[in-house]
Amino acid sequence: MNIIETKNLTKSYGDFTAVSHLNMHIRKGTVYGFLGPNGAGKSTTMKMFLGLTKPTDGSFSVDGKTYPSDRRAILQEVGSFIEAPAFYGNLTGEENLDIIRRILGLPKSAMNEALELVGLTQFRRRLAKKYSLGMKQRLGLASALIGRPPILILDEPTNGLDPVGIHEIRTLIRSLPQRYDCTVLVSSHLLSEVELMADDIGILNHGRLLFEGSIQSLRETARSMGFPTDNLENTFLAMIDEDNRRMGERR
Amino acid sequence: MILSLEMKKLKRTGIFPAFLIGALLAGAFPIVNMLARAETFTSLPGEPLTILAEANWQMMSMINLLVLLCGACMMYHTEFADNGFQKMEMLPLSSAGLFFGKLVILLLLLALMLLTETASLAFCAGRWFPGSVFSLREYALSAGFWFIAALPTVILTLLIASAFPNMWISLGIGVILLFTVSVFPQDNPVLILFPFSTPYQILALARENGTAASLLTACAAEVLALSGAELLYQKIRRCFA
Repeated sequence: MNIIETKNLTKSYGDFTAVSHLNMHIRKGTVYGFLGPNGAGKSTTMKMFLGLTKPTDGSFSVDGKTYPSDRRAILQEVGSFIEAPAFYGNLTGEENLDIIRRILGLPKSAMNEALELVGLTQFRRRLAKKYSLGMKQRLGLASALIGRPPILILDEPTNGLDPVGIHEIRTLIRSLPQRYDCTVLVSSHLLSEVELMADDIGILNHGRLLFEGSIQSLRETARSMGFPTDNLENTFLAMIDEDNRRMGERR
Repeated sequence: MILSLEMKKLKRTGIFPAFLIGALLAGAFPIVNMLARAETFTSLPGEPLTILAEANWQMMSMINLLVLLCGACMMYHTEFADNGFQKMEMLPLSSAGLFFGKLVILLLLLALMLLTETASLAFCAGRWFPGSVFSLREYALSAGFWFIAALPTVILTLLIASAFPNMWISLGIGVILLFTVSVFPQDNPVLILFPFSTPYQILALARENGTAASLLTACAAEVLALSGAELLYQKIRRCFA
């Protein structure tokens, strides 16, 4: 069963099309890795799911709910982290999460659980503006994870983290479907990163979905198309290069 | 709930001390003015409140507007500085609720300032016009008039602050509007109806000129129009985000 589905989802800014006729299918209870180079349209797609930007054309559904009529119902069950950690610098980590907890109508224990989950418990009373980049990233993740939402949308969640932090967050994301029965949509431009945590992947370039499926089926597709399959990063780069070349020819 | 959340967001921003200092400064102005040149005013004919307001309200109102402008900018700067606003937009909340929550806080702070300033005017009247009759009703009406006259300006400053993530742009626009409108001739019946101009009006003079009703009607219309503009802005900005 697909928990997130898009039908010809499109977003244009004047002449520029950021996302073009996107048809995505995210299965419930899986980690979906959203891959693509910078500017491919990953963040724009995620922003549309969260109602931060309005689609120009097409539609999407999240757990059977559609935008814009069910916007608030969608946001009630989606935990999100987009582009950069979002917080109030004048408040402590704990106060930041308390605001979100109250909006979502969660018990106080949800806040402590989220802090514990991302390893920020001992720094909870420090002002968020005084956090290091990695700690801010963790606070952003805590605000997405608070209340164990059934759907998580994470845009480059490991940016700014050290290798230990990256490993911790990756392990956490990987464990979420089993631990909390949730579905995770995680974006990255690093295939090696996504390979280690995703069940399914979608590759986006210039706003178009080049591939969607499991990593195994990506290998098979790549082999049939004559792309290298020894290393998934090379496969990814070859697919993007080929698409860029075709785009160039069309222009 | 939205009000308590908005209050919590303002923790450690310095907005409450800023309003307190503004209120004390504006409240101290008529007292200092009377200490310096009491005879100039005590020799004038008319009601003490009207004499004091005519002598001081221009400056007191400008202090109020400057503090309100800074307050509105600080409120949205807190939202935009570390993307807190973006997080709020990803939560099941109404964006209009955020705006009107902030508006209510600003209006409460404005009411507090006007209360301090009216008390200061009443003190001056009692201290330097001992023979006059004190009418609480007149002071309350004047304060109420100033409150209503400031409403469109408060909404406009907040609307500008909500539209620009860079605080210096909204602050700059506000300061330009404040000083441009303050040089408008105050006897022009049309120009005095603009936001940033209405807060300078005095109830006794408006009654005398027969403009009180039109002023209050214009303020009510501006409040509706500006609130509508904010709601419309909330709807359309997602198309361009």
